[in-house]
Amino acid sequence: MERIVLPDIKDLHLIDVYIQNGGYQAVKKAYAMSTDDVIAEVKKSGLRGRGGAAFATGLKWSFMPKTTDKPKYLCVNGDESEPGSFKDRQIFEFNPHQLLEGVLIACYAIQAKAAYIYIRGEYAKWVKLLQKALDDAYDKGFVGEKMKETLGSQFSCDIFIHKGAGAYICGEESALMNSIEGKRAYPRVKPPFPASNGLWGNPTTINNIETITNVPAIINKGAEWFSKIGEPKHPGTILCGVSGHVNKPGVYEIPTGTLLTDVIYKLAGGVPGDKKIKCVIPGGSSMPPLRGDQLEGVKMDADSLKAIGSGIGTAGVIVMDEDTNLVKVLARISKFYHHESCGQCTPCREGAGWLQKVLERIAAGNGVSSDLDLLISIASNIEGNTVCALGEAAAWPVRFMVTKFRQEFETYVKADVSIPVPNKVHSMRATEFPVADIKL
Amino acid sequence: MPKIVIDDKELDFNQGQTIIQIAEENGIDIPHFCWHECLSVSGNCRMCLVEVEKIPKLVIACSTIAADGMVVHTQSEKTVKARSAVMEFLLINHPLDCPICDEAGECKLQQYAYSHSVGESRFTEEKNHKKKRVPLGPYVMFDAERCISCSRCIRFCDEIAGEKQLTFVQRGDKVTIVTAPGKQLDNPYSLNVTDICPVGALTNRDFRFKSRVWDMSSTKSICSGCSRGCNIEVWVRNNEILRLTPRHNAEVNSYWMCDNGRLNTFKHVNAENRVDGPYLKREGNLIKTGWDEAIAFAVSELKSFGKDEIAFIGSAFATCEDNYIFAKFAKSAWSAKNIDFLRHVKPGESDKLLVMEDKSPNALGAQLAGIQPGKGGLNFEGIIHAIKEGKIKALYLLEDDLAAIKPEYESALKKLELLIVHSSNFNKTTDIADLILPASTYAEKHGTFVNFDGRVQRIRSAVTTEDFDRSLDGFEQSRLDKFGSPFDKWSSPKKMDARSSWRIIAAMYSALGHKIKHTMSQEVFDEISETIPEFQGLNYSVIGDTGAKIKLKSAETKSIKV
Ligand SMILES: Cc1cc2nc3c(=O)[nH]c(=O)nc-3n(C[C@H](O)[C@H](O)[C@H](O)COP(=O)(O)O)c2cc1C
Ligand code: SF4
Ligand code: SF4
Ligand code: SF4
Repeated sequence: MERIVLPDIKDLHLIDVYIQNGGYQAVKKAYAMSTDDVIAEVKKSGLRGRGGAAFATGLKWSFMPKTTDKPKYLCVNGDESEPGSFKDRQIFEFNPHQLLEGVLIACYAIQAKAAYIYIRGEYAKWVKLLQKALDDAYDKGFVGEKMKETLGSQFSCDIFIHKGAGAYICGEESALMNSIEGKRAYPRVKPPFPASNGLWGNPTTINNIETITNVPAIINKGAEWFSKIGEPKHPGTILCGVSGHVNKPGVYEIPTGTLLTDVIYKLAGGVPGDKKIKCVIPGGSSMPPLRGDQLEGVKMDADSLKAIGSGIGTAGVIVMDEDTNLVKVLARISKFYHHESCGQCTPCREGAGWLQKVLERIAAGNGVSSDLDLLISIASNIEGNTVCALGEAAAWPVRFMVTKFRQEFETYVKADVSIPVPNKVHSMRATEFPVADIKL
Repeated sequence: MPKIVIDDKELDFNQGQTIIQIAEENGIDIPHFCWHECLSVSGNCRMCLVEVEKIPKLVIACSTIAADGMVVHTQSEKTVKARSAVMEFLLINHPLDCPICDEAGECKLQQYAYSHSVGESRFTEEKNHKKKRVPLGPYVMFDAERCISCSRCIRFCDEIAGEKQLTFVQRGDKVTIVTAPGKQLDNPYSLNVTDICPVGALTNRDFRFKSRVWDMSSTKSICSGCSRGCNIEVWVRNNEILRLTPRHNAEVNSYWMCDNGRLNTFKHVNAENRVDGPYLKREGNLIKTGWDEAIAFAVSELKSFGKDEIAFIGSAFATCEDNYIFAKFAKSAWSAKNIDFLRHVKPGESDKLLVMEDKSPNALGAQLAGIQPGKGGLNFEGIIHAIKEGKIKALYLLEDDLAAIKPEYESALKKLELLIVHSSNFNKTTDIADLILPASTYAEKHGTFVNFDGRVQRIRSAVTTEDFDRSLDGFEQSRLDKFGSPFDKWSSPKKMDARSSWRIIAAMYSALGHKIKHTMSQEVFDEISETIPEFQGLNYSVIGDTGAKIKLKSAETKSIKV
């Protein structure tokens, strides 16, 4: 299979090697096209976002207003903080110039004068690597004012690398924009959407690192070629980060539609000790888990995973063998979302912590059977009621894990023992008119 | 006009309005914490989630722009459930402070817990703990455990006060409010955050722990701190003012008032140095005396001067009614021409929001009510000059501490042979006076002020005195609340022996043999509106709670701005 995002070429991260292998040709080709044609090409390719929601990239670009006096921006999302997801890092390290070339093409397509590549603070090393690549690209005249000369184009743009300070929420696109603006990374209430009201109130497109890295190949080889790779409705390759109980954890570039079992057994070398698989989270920790007995025939693409009640997310495959304690796993996942909730909106701010507290109590052996329904109820009270999708990210693992592995959770909670309720005193009497029966 | 249906009511709206705005305008209450009419939309509390037909998820009414034909349900099963879920979330980490929390009784969280909550919590874990007493500035105390992170206080500082002094720090349920590095919450409007904070997280350090809110009565009045005339509520317990809060008036002060007005315009009412009954000076000593004696003294002393030897100084702190009767008395009983008042303008001491340079509440009213020099008469500076020259020997001065303003005035007053003063408190001027008549403060009487903009607004009696205009406003009697505790406005009051200035003057008028028919300030105002064209057509009920504009000739506005 041909690798698009991470080709098997030695030292491709060096600009000279990249150029020798046909690098920075796609941008020339794209700049010779009209912006509409570039967008049309990307639309036709069927490229869908690799940042979690698998949204059609060409369509997203077409939302950018054509006639506006305002400056336009591109943000490239490399915050990559979802547990189980570590794929964009490989691009920074092994193929940074294809990313930069993709940025140049995307900027042209949407007529953005500047692009911000947002990288999570913990990736200090990869920030340096990408910065080196960017400096080289500036030196060679592929970015900035000089590109007009180098590429013989009217268009030019600048690329900035913005380092986050270590918060998962900065990956949420509107929080990311606030963060770039120097504000607290609170997600914004939508609408308005970024295409009309993004960075500093200007039209903005946000794409994932991997999404953008696909673009030069699409321009070079054509939409037709790209659309024939993998699943027709979600074509191309995806970077699949496999972790957990596998012999060869790592990032694998696979055509979409590859069988999940092939990813686990063929690429990642199967489960140590040939143990059975109890649970797989196919798309990063926020996606609903699959039971071991559900894996047969499951394909890695957005629609197939949706059909069985999960999602492709960021294709971070987390494998858990039969000895895994799912109560502890879920408590740990909940701890993460509690820790990462930005705290802006009520259901997620309060609910994420509540979920964690209940789960930790259950894990410590102090659960009661009503706790399981309580967990599901808390989760569904968060879902759909929040400012951003972190609410769902906190709620889904709980709701689905408890539902799908109910038996395992049941064995953890005791029969109906009554636990002490020291904090329950804020309950009121449940009368319809609480003050009506007080005598004057 | 586009139409929207909210809870089966079809309503017109203007393009661009949000669901909550339309609901608000039409008297439909959509519960909310973070939304505030005058602040930007934040959308964080999630309390205003409503169901809109054809939209799968609930939407927040505060940020959702209405569209023609939209059908909204605020009471559907889904919305009721979402609201009670939000309430449950808000309460899980909320401390059990109501019994000791100043906000109790006027707390949105408490009210909604009754109306939008199921009444029982499923939360059995340990609550989060945060700091309980953090002074954010000179006047505001913060309790982090009570904060529901609605961001109203931050938005108020950023958007209304125009000073970025507050911000959130931390994440998730650790989020809390702090002052920005190197800053304090010390903008001139800081205390407004205690009003808009939906819970007891921000409290007024001047009022904290003074009273349960249900033990106070509140009376609609006007701030006397400057010529803006912010609409306020005066909060009284046991006949003592405990706090002032702003009262909404879109034409005057919106929802706000300045800290100076809030903190520094009521303490003199409760002060120890109140003039309690009339005082006469005999051989250099102040002697308390009866009203009849005091009035007889004033009349006979004034009679001993020639009419050009007497001057009358009205007051921008007294009501229109006081000034009107005073001017009438001066002109008709004494044929006086030397009539004026002092304007308390402090150039440069104003801001873009509310505070005005004129530090008195009723300069325009005093002028219009007739406190102006008669033909050939002296104005204020002329009167002072004439006193210094010994030409004016007697001065009748209404509610103004002239001696404290300038040493020049003080020494002039000392040259007088007779100084009659109306004053609520002992001060530098009363020290010089020969007769002190105890005047009710703005909180003890009814009357009107005219603000800088020509708006007549009513002050009302919030504190009772021995002489009190009870017939008006039904005397807002004490009553028992639902819990059997009294609104003990007058339960065991300490009452001042003070009177509205116009009543004192009316008594003198009668002593001179004139007939005064008025028994209530309302009747004085009716006469004002009959005789002074600017006030034509106005009366207390027209003025109502939010005031009414007088008809100003532009010349008057100009002259008042001096
Ligand atoms: C809490 C949260 C965290 C997210 N983190 C990331 C991230 O780290 N990287 C990313 O590309 N997208 C992330 N997303 C998705 C982005 O909001 C956005 O949809 C994406 O960057 C769009 O890119 P795409 O269209 O190329 O997929 C996150 C979303 C949420 C709600
Ligand atoms: S859902 Fe969570 S992360 Fe998103 S805005 Fe609300 S509190 Fe913040
Ligand atoms: S202190 Fe009050 S106004 Fe400020 S965020 Fe907290 S609850 Fe809201
Ligand atoms: S602005 Fe003026 S009227 Fe308003 S509160 Fe302040 S002092 Fe009082």
